[in-house]
Amino acid sequence: MAVNLLYHQNEFRLEDEMRQIEIAKKDPRQFAPLYKKYHEAIFRYVYKRVDEEEAAYDITSSVFVKALASLSRYEFRGVPFSSWLFRIAKSELYQSFRDKKAQRTVSLDSVTIVQFIDELNEDFSEEQRTTLINSLKLLKDHQLQLIEMRFFEKRSFKEIGEIVGLTENNAKVKTFRALVKLKEIFNRTKA
Amino acid sequence: MIKILVDRTKPTTEEIKRHQNFETILDKASINETKKILPWYYGAVGLASFIFAIVTILL
Repeated sequence: MAVNLLYHQNEFRLEDEMRQIEIAKKDPRQFAPLYKKYHEAIFRYVYKRVDEEEAAYDITSSVFVKALASLSRYEFRGVPFSSWLFRIAKSELYQSFRDKKAQRTVSLDSVTIVQFIDELNEDFSEEQRTTLINSLKLLKDHQLQLIEMRFFEKRSFKEIGEIVGLTENNAKVKTFRALVKLKEIFNRTKA
Repeated sequence: MIKILVDRTKPTTEEIKRHQNFETILDKASINETKKILPWYYGAVGLASFIFAIVTILL
């Protein structure tokens, strides 16, 4: 499974980043390197979940505004800075869905669909692909979020837990339950 | 209703970079910070003025 290199940083890089955050807390202009480092990752996370590119840029922008405005409250408690940003992104996304500024979207590519159908122990066919798409729409949003992050974005359970506010183990259990639920819906829809 | 998009075109790194605008982030964040401070600031000033007025009247 591919890994998110921004998330899996070594200790030296993490320490360096913490120093950068402390400097930025005193001088907001020093937030620029962190903004440049994470802008693309946050944009891609948001873009996959909204239907319009412009809305994704707007939400990304508000994520960094919120992050900078509340940077003084950020403390390293085992949750990397990137996960803290993704948490803000998640909350900004749901705010924009509530405000009807963006529509909840799931972005998939054909390769991921084939891999995921295999994960469901099924053989790929056009019919299965349609069934999967229809089944995903029937999942509850918290279940869809977990499936999305684990199987479509290949995030580790630790990172998923940090983004949604669960322990690593809890993230694993809830993702497994979401997958079981999806299989159930998939089989029902197929039949 | 959830929308599912398959094989959607993804903006390139260069396109995304072109949308970076740190100055705007800086400006908006400072406005947000001011907005957060203002109600408390005015509340504190108002309360202090009120207490000062009462004390002045009593003296």
